[in-house]
Parts: sequence; structure tokens; C-alpha cells
Amino acid sequence: MADNAGNSNAQKQNRSKSTNLECKNLYDYLKSRPSNLLEKLYNHPTICLAVYRELPDLAKQYVIRMVFVEQPVPQAVVASWGSQIYSKEHNNASKVLSDLMLWQEAAIPGGLLGWIISPTFKKNIKIALLGGGKTWSMSSALEADSKARDVAFLDTYSQERWECVLHYMVGSQQQEGISADAVRILLHAGLMKRDEEDGTLVITRQGFQFLLLDRQAQVWHFILQYLDTVQERDLDLVECLTFLFQLSFSTLGKDYSTEGMGPGLLVFLQHLREFGLVYQRKRKAGRFYPTRLALNITNNTNKSTPDIEDDHPKGYIIVETNYRVYAYTDSNLQVALVTLFTELIYRFPNLVVGVITRDSVRQALRGGITADQIIGFLKQHVHPRMLESEAKSPLPPTVVDQIKLWELERNRLDYKEGVLYSQFLSQIDFNVLKEYTESNGVLIWFNKEKRTLVINKAAHDDVKRFWKKYSKGS
Amino acid sequence: MNIVLPEESQQDASSAEETSLLVIILDSNPGQKMLRESPHVLTHCVDSVIVFANTHLMQKVQNKLAIMACHSKSSQFIYPDQGKHGDIRQVDGQYEAFTAVEKITKKNLAKVLTSDGSAVITESLLAGAIAMALCYIARLQRTKPPGAKLNCRILVVTGSSCSTSQYMNYMNVFFTAQKQNVVIDVCALDQHLNLLQQGCDITNGLYLKVPQLQGLLQYMMWVFLPEPPIREKLVLPPPLKVDYRAACFCHRQLIDIGYVCSVCLSIFCKFSPICTTCHTVFKMPALPAVKPKKRKKM
Repeated sequence: MADNAGNSNAQKQNRSKSTNLECKNLYDYLKSRPSNLLEKLYNHPTICLAVYRELPDLAKQYVIRMVFVEQPVPQAVVASWGSQIYSKEHNNASKVLSDLMLWQEAAIPGGLLGWIISPTFKKNIKIALLGGGKTWSMSSALEADSKARDVAFLDTYSQERWECVLHYMVGSQQQEGISADAVRILLHAGLMKRDEEDGTLVITRQGFQFLLLDRQAQVWHFILQYLDTVQERDLDLVECLTFLFQLSFSTLGKDYSTEGMGPGLLVFLQHLREFGLVYQRKRKAGRFYPTRLALNITNNTNKSTPDIEDDHPKGYIIVETNYRVYAYTDSNLQVALVTLFTELIYRFPNLVVGVITRDSVRQALRGGITADQIIGFLKQHVHPRMLESEAKSPLPPTVVDQIKLWELERNRLDYKEGVLYSQFLSQIDFNVLKEYTESNGVLIWFNKEKRTLVINKAAHDDVKRFWKKYSKGS
Repeated sequence: MNIVLPEESQQDASSAEETSLLVIILDSNPGQKMLRESPHVLTHCVDSVIVFANTHLMQKVQNKLAIMACHSKSSQFIYPDQGKHGDIRQVDGQYEAFTAVEKITKKNLAKVLTSDGSAVITESLLAGAIAMALCYIARLQRTKPPGAKLNCRILVVTGSSCSTSQYMNYMNVFFTAQKQNVVIDVCALDQHLNLLQQGCDITNGLYLKVPQLQGLLQYMMWVFLPEPPIREKLVLPPPLKVDYRAACFCHRQLIDIGYVCSVCLSIFCKFSPICTTCHTVFKMPALPAVKPKKRKKM
């Protein structure tokens, strides 16, 4: 018998994994931080509040139940809080709490193990909820602003600033450039890269995926990338994060003071100002207004239901069951986004009409965009009229399913690494090996007539050993 | 064959984004037995309720809150109010929004308490307050943007006793709430509330008689903080046996067995020949007919 190590390729899977945009939420971000940093972060009520809001529902209840309890609570007691059917969710909640170091194991007299909420976290979440402690750095008293800005102004301002970045990415010429700092972050995040030939910046796959995210997710992803580079700029990560969350818990349309902010934070503020997260009339104005981009910055789950407050930007896309897409917009950026996965038919001053075809979707898929991203994008920007219908999903289900099917079409092959065994001398030998591998669950494929079989590569050594033992014995 | 799976995971995610509104009805009637005996208990209750309200806001960004004060003669919203509160700034490490809730609630509650007349009436208009809360919810449901989802619940915190004189009003609000999918929770501070417990049962809410007033906040956090969808995942106090006795329309007394008008279903503890609600005339029940004795056949 000869075993030809036929290496089936696994490169395809690698490719699709490495090119997808990884969008972390706050939990993933914090989990990957060292524990001493977490401890430092929990010294700030704002961060405790933000972390708390990101917890799974059950974990929130556990924290609240234990936050006013001084001694450790036996683990068995905690386990008994959840009902049996949902024990999986209970385990998940406990795991998240342990991962984030929100609770620690502690021994209880009597030999039982108990959970105790991290004292720093407990202290600071209580401050956020009940009061006490120091004020947050930006809430020093201010005189009334003589030129106060209203919410509508802040909205247009932030939108303009942020779209400036997006426009730069798609390379539309109508906007002026952005600062070198922002470009560096785009490069660092892998959203853009330098072209090998002429050195100009071009958008990457991830860049396209980034464009399809909703605004909050974009801002959050961008800020995370920015925070990665914070240390190089001699800024303190903890300080920046604290400030960021303070911003995210501020009130829209209210002005805040820059008094008492260190030079590092002032630099950070200027960067945020550039991206439109805060508005400042002058660099030295002594006050700033947070904009909608900065609010609830971590709340980046894909929004499928609009908020109860009716002042968010309206959607502009109508999708019909005949795969036509009507986008009521005059912005080049939005048109460019729609054309990523549609074929344009007509273009009017305030409306573009396109059609979703197999080719257009496949082209987008080849570009590294996933079906879920396309559907998510359409859902987020759906026209309010589409939401009025009683149907569960605002998009026509046929279109949604078809886009998914088109994506599945591309994944018809399943790649596995394997080793080919062939040229068995007798049918008995073949059968023995076939049965052995089959019972171990490592057999991938076999052909009785040709006496060949393919097994999992990982099990190759084991099977080889078995074969040697077997051939010696017979 | 390719199979497109239903979007289960996405539905889970979307349920987390729904806005949930909590309307707290706080019985601030100084005529309550509990408050007549020791007035300072009210401060403790108000503090607990405010912290509980803030905890509700803390759960999710989208969560909404309304607080009502219920009195012997009127009920009114004390949070949110119409005034502008741009000037409320942090005084300590507390989250700005929480500070605002605390200040506005206390200010308006003080107004309500001082404007109250001197006459002590032990009965609070709880049914009226619930009706107001339902109207408020209905308005929000009507004006919300298309596609938005709003889950509402009402929490009644009261120390006064259940007045059977409001029986009809109670039943009306309970069934309206049931129809509008509004959950009514009741936190009884002092006495067992028979009728309100029925309301909880009708609307799938929770009823809790707080055993110790000292631990009010902790009781509320444990029992009333979880949203209805999360409640099924937790082990919460099992529902007690609900006393479904109705109050009669003539003397407002809870009765086990009574007379029911066959036309309008009004309940009476004593027989009356004319129904007071729909004026149907009933015949007097005939005396049991004396059956002629059958002669034994030979």
C-alpha cells in the first residue's frame, strides 16, 4: 500500500476568512485587553455604565442583584436564579461576567465557591447610579453660550464631517481632502491601501464592507482603530476611553466645558472634532457640543428597528419584489453604495433606479461583500414607507432569500485537507482500513472498486500506526 | 439543495433593540395608613422608586420612563414634564440623565404634595391613574415612527388598601391593558391588594407584597426590573392563588355567590326585581312547585 499525501487545498477558506471586516463590539474589544487595564478602566463610572449596557440580558440582572450585596454569593445560588430550560444562556452570562472580570470566584466559609462582584466595578457603578464621587471631567459649569447651536445644526455638521471621510474613501472628487492623521488611520485599519504601481490610495475589500455598515458601527470601528494608534501619539488609552464614553453619555444639543482637560485630551478632542464627533466653533472656545455620532457609541448592533425618537436621518431606498431598487438621493456617495450591488437603469436629479441581478450581486460577492451585508444595508436605509406595511421584514422576502441563494451558489464546494490511501493488495486489507477509519469518523471518501480511500489529514499518523500494527499481525 | 434558514438569530437581536417603556405609578396619598403612622416612610419609598427607575434606564439606551403621582383626588405625571431642563448638570459622579430624573421627580412630587388639601382621604385613585397611564401609552403607540416597536408596562407602587368602590373602573382598565398588551405589575407596600392582584393575573404581570419595607429597593430590583421576555428565563416568585371574587354592584362587597343579571351580567349580592344597570324586570322566583304525589301503581 502506498499513501500519497494528496494535499487538498484549504486556501480558499483562509482567503474568505482573512478578508472579512472584523467588527468588534465593546465586549470583544475589552476581552482582548489585559486584566490590569480592565481594572484601571473600571475606576471610571462612565466605563462601568457602558460595560453594563453591553452585557447580555441575564448578566445584567445578575449584576444588579449582587451589586448591593457585600459578601460572596454561592455559585449554586446564582445558578438557581435562572430557569432550567435556559441554562445555556445562564452559562453564557456567567462566562461573559468572568471574561470581563466583573465578578471573581471567592471562597465562602463552608467550602463552597461563590461569586463576588469586582469591588472597583461595584463602587463605580454605584456612583453612576446613585451619585457620589467626583464629577466627570467635562461637566464644569459654563455660562450660557451666546451662539448656542441647536440639534439640527449639529446633525448637518456631523454628517458633513463624517461623509467627508467616506467620500475620501470612495474617491469622489467633490470634497476636499482629509487630514494626514485620518488617512493614517484608514491605512492602519486596512480600509485603504497604497496601490503597488503609482502609490495612490485605493479602497480595499474591507473598505467596501465598511461603507455598507450603518453609521454608528462605522464610527465605532473607526474609533477602535484610532485607539489602537493612541499609544504612538503619547496619549493615555484609559483617559481617551473614559472621555469617549463620557461623550457617549452626554446630552445632544448641550454644551460642555473643556476646562480641566489635559493637553493629551485636548489633542484627542481635536481629532474627534475632525471626524465630526464633537462640534467646536473655535479651537480655543472652551466649550464643545457632542454630536449624534458620539452618542451611544457602543450601541452598534445592526439597527433593524428605528428608534422611538423620530429625529433620525430618514431612509431613502425602496425595494420592490421585481428586484428593482429606487434610491431617493442626490448624494454621490449613496449612489456609489447602491451601485455596489445593483445595475443602474435610470438616473434623475433626486432618484436613481437600479435592478438587483444575479450578475450584479455576484460581482459584489466577488468583491468580498457578503449577502448579509447587502441585506443589512438595504434594511437600514429602507424608506419609511416600506416600514409602514404590516409585514415582519421591511424588505420583500423573495429578494432577501434570492440574494442569500446567490451567495450560497458560490459555496457549493467544501474543501477538506486529506490523505489518499490507494493500491491495497487485497480487498480484505481495504475493508479493514475502511471500517477502522469509518468508525473513527475520519473517512472522507472511498471507492470500493478502485480500492482507494481518502481520510482526514489530521488522523493520518494514527491510521498509519494502526496499519503497521495490523500488517504485522496478519 | 440550498436551504435558506429562517432568520432566527436576527430576530433575537432585534428584540434587544425594542424600546421598552416603564410607567411607574407611585401612590403618594398622605392618607394611606402606612404614611399616617410614619410619614418619613414616603422619603424612603420615593428614593427607592427613583433608583429603580434609573436602573430601568440603565438597562438599555432606548428605555423610556414615566413616573406618575397618584393622589386621593387627582393623578398627574411628574416625569417627564414639559419644562426645559437644559440647566441640570452633574453635581457628582452620577450619570447626567439619572440626576435629571431624580431632580425633576423630587421637584414635581414636592409640588403635588404641597398643593394637596388638608382633608385626609384614605382612598387613592389608582384605577384613574392606571387609565391615565394607558392613555399615555396609547398616544406614544400612535405617534411612534413606522416600524418602531414599543413594549410597555405599568408598575403600581402603593401602600393604600384596595377599594372595592372602584371595582368597575379596575376591571375596565385591566381588560383594556390586556387588549393593548400592557403588563401591569403591582408592588404592595402595606396591605394585600385583592383586586390589583387580579389585574396582574389578567395582564400577566407580577404581584408582590413586600415583606419588609426596609428592603424595598432590593425587592423591586429582583422582581420588577426584568422585562417580561427575560422573566421567563429567571425563577421568580410563583403566582399565589388569585382570589377572583367580584364586588357586587349594590353594596360594593366582595362576594362568592351572588345574583347575576342575565342581560348585562351585573352582579348583585341580593336579589332585586329590577336590574339597576339595565333596568330589566325579573319575575319573582316562583315558589318551589308542590308536585302532586304519584299514586303508587298497584
